This record gives sequence, C-alpha cells and structure tokens, in this order.
Amino acid sequence: MNKKGIHIVFLFLFYFQVYSQSKSDSLALNFSLEFNNLPIEVNKKYVSSNKDTLTVESFRCYISNIQIHYEDNYVFTQKESYHLLDLDNPNSFQIPITKKSDKFISKISFNLGIDSLTNTAGAMAGDLDPIKGMYWAWQSGYINMKIEGKSSSCKTRRNEFQFHIGGYLPPYYAMQKIELIYDKNATNINIGIDLKNFFSNINLSETNSVMIPGKQAMQLADYSKKIFYIK
Amino acid sequence: MIKYWKYYSALGLVILISLGFSNQYTTPLYLEVPYGWPKPHYNFKDNPLTEEGFQLGRHLFYDPIISRDSTISCASCHLQQTGFTHVDHQLSHGIEGKIGTRNSMALINLAWNKDFMWDGGVNNLEVQPINPITNPIEMDEKLENVIFKLQRSTKYKMLFTKAFGDEKVTSQRLLKALTQFTVMLKSSNSKYDKVMRKEKQYNEREQRGYDLFKTNCASCHKEPLFSDDKFEKNGLAIDTTLYDIGRFKITNKKEDYLRFKIPTLRNVQFTFPYMHDGRFKTLTEVVKYYNSLGHDKSLPKELAKPMNLSDNDRVDLVLFLTTLTDKEFLFDKRFSFPKE
Repeated sequence: MNKKGIHIVFLFLFYFQVYSQSKSDSLALNFSLEFNNLPIEVNKKYVSSNKDTLTVESFRCYISNIQIHYEDNYVFTQKESYHLLDLDNPNSFQIPITKKSDKFISKISFNLGIDSLTNTAGAMAGDLDPIKGMYWAWQSGYINMKIEGKSSSCKTRRNEFQFHIGGYLPPYYAMQKIELIYDKNATNINIGIDLKNFFSNINLSETNSVMIPGKQAMQLADYSKKIFYIK
Repeated sequence: MIKYWKYYSALGLVILISLGFSNQYTTPLYLEVPYGWPKPHYNFKDNPLTEEGFQLGRHLFYDPIISRDSTISCASCHLQQTGFTHVDHQLSHGIEGKIGTRNSMALINLAWNKDFMWDGGVNNLEVQPINPITNPIEMDEKLENVIFKLQRSTKYKMLFTKAFGDEKVTSQRLLKALTQFTVMLKSSNSKYDKVMRKEKQYNEREQRGYDLFKTNCASCHKEPLFSDDKFEKNGLAIDTTLYDIGRFKITNKKEDYLRFKIPTLRNVQFTFPYMHDGRFKTLTEVVKYYNSLGHDKSLPKELAKPMNLSDNDRVDLVLFLTTLTDKEFLFDKRFSFPKE
C-alpha cells in the first residue's frame, strides 16, 4: 500500500514538472503602449508631430485571430482568439499563444478589432463580455479601439478627446488586419503600439470626437494600422 | 461483507457516472415551427432551449430588479395581453416617468426576426435587452449592477443553478436566459391560422378583407408572419418634436432616411397606438392614412398606387386584421407573470 502511494506522488511530480516546463517554453505576444518609443505614462504630456499637446487617459483595443507564420509556411492560428488590451490592466498586454517551436517565425498577423461574424453572434463571454465597455448597445457591435484623453487643442468640454472606433457593416467595416514581418526565433515577441503614429495623422483641434461607425471611423481605423511595430 | 464488494462498487460506479451527467438535469425545450412557416432566424445551436432556462428568463422578464431603482421590468412596456407592447402610450415611458422617443414594439414571433428595434440597430435577439437595461430613460442600470443584484438573491441563485448547473451570474447567462423566454413568444393560433389550417372558415366580409389585404398590404406585411426583414418609409411626415430619422441613423445611407422596420400585424387589434411614434390610435385611422396615399414619387413602389378603398372596403380590411388576434397567445399562462 505504501509503495503504491509513493508511485502516485512521483507520477504527480512528474506531470507537474512536464506541465510547468511546457509553460515556460510557451510563445507569447507582449504588447507595450508607447508614445515616441517610450512607455506611455497616464497624464504625462506628449506633443504630437502636429504640435498638439496631449495626455492619454485610457486606451483599450481588441486583438483577435492571432496567427504565427513560420518560415516553412506552417501557420499556427490561435483558437478563440479574442483579447482585450486595457491600459488599466497591464497583464492584459501579455498574450500567451502556443508552445515554443524551434522553427523560425516569418510573420505575425492579427486583427485590430472584432470580425463581423462575431459582431452578430449574440451575447458573448470573457473578453467579449459587453460589460467590458467595448460594446455599443443601440447599434449592436464591438468598439475595436478606444483612445481617450485631453488636449488643449480640443475646444471641447474639459478639453477632452474621445475616439471609439468600430463598425462591422460594409462599407464601414472598421476591423484592420495587421501583418508584421519577423525573422527571429524567440519566446517573447515584443510588439510596440506607438500612439505617436496615430496622433501624427490628425489635428486634435478638428478631429476630437468620433464615437459612431462611419467614414471618420474608417479613416481613424486606417491610421491605427500604423501604430503596431516589432520591437 | 466481502460478498457484497462487487455490489457496492457497481453501485458506486453508477453513482459516479450519474454525477457526471448531473449538470445535464435540464429539460430540453423546442420551438415548434408551424407548418408552412419559414425557418426561424434565431440560432438555437448557441443557446439550446431548456425549460429551466425559459423559466429563468421568464422571471427576469417580469422582475423590476434589473432596473436601477427596481421599478421597471421588461413587462412594464411589454404587456402580454396587448401582444407584449405598451398599450395606450404613443411613446413608452421608463424610469421616474421619463418618456422615450418611440412606441415600444410588440414581442411576437421574435425567433423569425433578423433585426430588432424600429431602426434595426440591434442585430441579435440576445443583445437586445442591453438597450432597455442601460438606457437612461428606460431602466438606467448597468449590466454589472444587475449581475451583482442577481448574485445576492437566493431566488436567482436557485434559478441560475437549475438553468446552468451553478449559481454564477454572467451577462451572457442573463442575456441568453432572457432570450430563451422571448424567443418562445410564438403566436400562431389566430383565426387566420385556423382558416389556413382549414379548421375554421372566414365569413364573407372577413374573406373580402383578406382579399383586400393581399392586394394592398401583403407585399410588405408578408404572410404568414405579417412582417418583413426590410425597412421602409410610409410617407409619414417627420414629427418635428422628435426628429426621428429611423434607419438612416444606423446605416448613414441616404435611402434609409425615415425608413422604419415593417412591424408584424399579428395581434394588431390590441397593440395600439400604431406607428413608430404611436401617432394613430385606431386601425381605422391607419387604414384611412394608407388609403390617402398615392401619386407620390417619394413613396416606395408598394405605396405609389392609390388604394381607392371604399368605406365598406376599409371596414372589411379592419375586420380581417382582427382575425390576426390570437387569444391563446395573449392569455397563455406559460408567458404570464410567474407566480412563486
């Protein structure tokens, strides 16, 4: 009886060991929110290339359908791949993907936002739960990206700017496919999200409040493509 | 004792196996599609109906707990006896007597609806309740607070456990349960249905009304649902106190200016007042209005030709519309306020 007990203990330890190993060898995407290549600090003043002085108070976006392309053309597609990055929740910027492989990675791709099928699929859970504040009720659909803050250039209430970018109905389907070329074999893929490249496209005195799907949202969604880069 | 070990271990095994199935102690429920009706639009695969889920949804539908000050329930604006709509109010009112901008819609045969709301802004029945719950002039509550309140309630702990296997409340479970109730609100036993099934016969005037309906109304209010997925303008001048531009607000397309959902006419006898802003009190007024149209190029082609209905025609048409009343639905105990 005693011997059996020991076996079970060893078996348990063995599995535990295997399990924890596989965990440390996993591949992850690590996003970091930046302004001009430096980590964003809430309420710090930044100056855009259009001379807008601004502070960022909140940032949230959906990263979905993450795919890892390997140099032998194999593509790993993450299942149930919907992730909400939230400046208020730093852990959300690390996304574990799969086991690490010896193969070289050639490309990372993902969507900024939520696909149209999921937008019409009804009540969702997890990161897609409507209580996350990234869902429009009066016009069903997910907000792909939210950027909010203040700038003296905005002649709005409390000098606020608000960008809630989304929409899934053509011709205003705002989701963006992001593809980043990669040529390393790494366990952590570091991706910068540089908001400087977003604000360089707009004048906050003119564009400071976009909160419905449409032409303007499409324009901003297009600018958002350029904020991602491999570090 | 040793003699019985086989017996005991077999018993133990049976108990273990049945424990494995214990979370499946729900009674499956099906929405029966009446003969000749189209396939429902709702995707039941992602929300398999159960008696327990339906009953949970029914309790939620009738419970004001989901509003900020526990005064407004879904049933406040959706009364069963009037086809689940807010009778006698042009514009529906919500929390603290605040008045909305539209006439609440009837909840009938929702399983066959593609879009919801007068402007079709909502794309799935499951996400529809988020609107009245969070709208500041309806229930003015946050989903997080609803979840919090339900989690503390002994009654809902029990009802959620029955429906989902444990007492955890999530927005997804809340919305799916509400949908299990509203998707079952099927009306298919009106006199019209019985005539179609050859169980009853129309009298001469009802039959005349039906023929007039088929010529003048049925191209938009399509049988057997008496509605359409489409949005249409019907020539009503914009109410300058509301400036409701309809579908245009959702799509931003010029052609959708002043277009509204084509509502079902089932139980229309009791869903008064009529139109998105409830501007007509009676069916007679509605028929009179449509009869006054014609020779207007801005109208859709279905309304472009004048109807030229005589006084008798109009009476017969209204008479036919009353044959769409389904008393079995309006007084079905399964859809009524759940007595504890």
